[in-house]
Amino acid sequence: MSSQGIPLSAPSGRARALPGLTWLGWVSGRPPQLLLGSVLLLAIVLVTFVGPLVYRASPYTINPLLQLAPPSAQALMGTDQIGRDELARIIAGGQDSLIVGFAASALAVLVGLLYGLSAGLGPKLGDQILMRVLDALLSVPTLVILIFLASFFRMSDAVLILLLGLTSWPRPARVIRNETFATRGKDFVTASRQFGARPLFVARTHILRMILPILVVNFVFLVADNILALSFLSFLGLGVPPPIPTWGNLLTDGLQNIFSNSWWLIYPPGLMIFFSVIAVNAIGEGIVTAMERS
Amino acid sequence: MVATLMRRGLSSVTSILILTSLVFAVAELTPGGPAQTILGLHTTAEAVKALNHALGLDQPIYIQYLTWWGHLLQGNLGYSLIQHQSVVAVIGQYLGNTAVLDSVSLLLAILLSLGIGIVQGANANTWISKVISVGQFFLYAMPIFWLGIVLIYIFSVTLNWLPSGGAQDLAESNFDLVTYVRHLILPTVTLTLIFTSFFSRYMGTSARLEFQQAYVTVAVAKGAAPVRIALLHVMRNAARPLVTMVGLFLPWIFAGGVVVEEVFNFPGLGYLLWQSAIQHDYPVLIVIVMIIGLLTIIGNLLADIINSMLDVRVRYE
Repeated sequence: MSSQGIPLSAPSGRARALPGLTWLGWVSGRPPQLLLGSVLLLAIVLVTFVGPLVYRASPYTINPLLQLAPPSAQALMGTDQIGRDELARIIAGGQDSLIVGFAASALAVLVGLLYGLSAGLGPKLGDQILMRVLDALLSVPTLVILIFLASFFRMSDAVLILLLGLTSWPRPARVIRNETFATRGKDFVTASRQFGARPLFVARTHILRMILPILVVNFVFLVADNILALSFLSFLGLGVPPPIPTWGNLLTDGLQNIFSNSWWLIYPPGLMIFFSVIAVNAIGEGIVTAMERS
Repeated sequence: MVATLMRRGLSSVTSILILTSLVFAVAELTPGGPAQTILGLHTTAEAVKALNHALGLDQPIYIQYLTWWGHLLQGNLGYSLIQHQSVVAVIGQYLGNTAVLDSVSLLLAILLSLGIGIVQGANANTWISKVISVGQFFLYAMPIFWLGIVLIYIFSVTLNWLPSGGAQDLAESNFDLVTYVRHLILPTVTLTLIFTSFFSRYMGTSARLEFQQAYVTVAVAKGAAPVRIALLHVMRNAARPLVTMVGLFLPWIFAGGVVVEEVFNFPGLGYLLWQSAIQHDYPVLIVIVMIIGLLTIIGNLLADIINSMLDVRVRYE
């Protein structure tokens, strides 16, 4: 609803002729968390992906004359114990955290979708077996399984995506299975079946469309979980090997040098993880609120 | 109720069977295997082979798995590959610390959540509940390990009030309770804050809904004091979802403990898990994973039982 009293949904085409106004109308109709979260996430993406073009310091160059130096004009966020530029390392570490976090969650939702759909649409016995396996997997925290598994592999971004993706799917799988189960009993699905629709067609056209919003919400919250899990693995020394910087192993350096009062090694990397998780969670909550309204 | 418990018990057994076989299957993936880890890099292929044979690691994986179960049923959980002690002895040294840390933090968090939730529910849609929910949101997004590091920085480095990590051995001869508690404070505060941010959110929602119920209106009409209504009437009903929540999120609670133990070098199960993972000490790893799985399953059962005690209706379902 604009202030001029013209309904934005008017079919007259007048509203569509004012794209700026429709955009504002779109924003004002959404929950504020969605907007704030998106802006914050965009800012983080800009810092980590465009930042290196602006801030030219190398994250690997060692400067023995400038060890554990506080923020200055030479190094905007100070240097670490062997004189590497902390800001450059935070920027470089962020790219991996975001890429791995999003890719792993996409993989997890995909696996969860296939698993949940087959459990929810398949025969009863198959469903029971699949759900027991899921119970077993869910009875041990993902983090414990991750620590256990991470010790076996030489880490790279690809391995981390696989590892995080293949450990975090059980929760979305259960939600998707329950939703599928609920949807498959609905009248329109039964009707479609009785018209002779094949299971794959039912899954694609009816079930998938119904569970899509839940899929999106699960994906968004998983991203937050995976960014946290990834940073923690790196913090434990189970992530990508040094000298590659990650937000997690920057905090390891921070903790090891904590008694030299080097606060610049503790707050900035932690805040980056914190803000990313807040941004993603806010987007997730915004979507949930929007879904509840409609 | 009995039927429910039986069904739960049966599915728990299945869970444990699936879990242990998965852990075993993964252990098979290790390049070189534990023998390589024990002997180090400067060794011959023959020595590795001989040790693998001596440890029974050259047999097919399913034979190893069955052997392990055979030993387990005789009360033998195996021997640590690194520490040259039985797994029971190794885990025994760490279990006590985890039990203290996790249960104290959980208890504090539940008490805090009950209080915060009631306050939030009673003041729904006012600035008080808004301030609380913003706090919960931010605290929940806080990486636990970073919160721990920040607390170390403030209380150990800057103020120098508390030790930055480690713990006194519970079995030590000159055990000193004050020293023990001092080491316990920071890890406990970290865990309690994170748990509270999560549980008080559920408690707040549930209390808000309870305050809208007719029995509250009746109590108000009869002239009951607001504090009495909140504590005697609302608390009992609003706490039920919280009990289920705590039961459901037990894996998450243990995971929180694992994180905190590693930040503070607090010698508990989580710390042992980390060390065993780095050293490929499978006999210890597999038992830790099993213990955590078992505790989760027992915890869920307990949550069911407590719920049936709080609400008579559940008992007859």
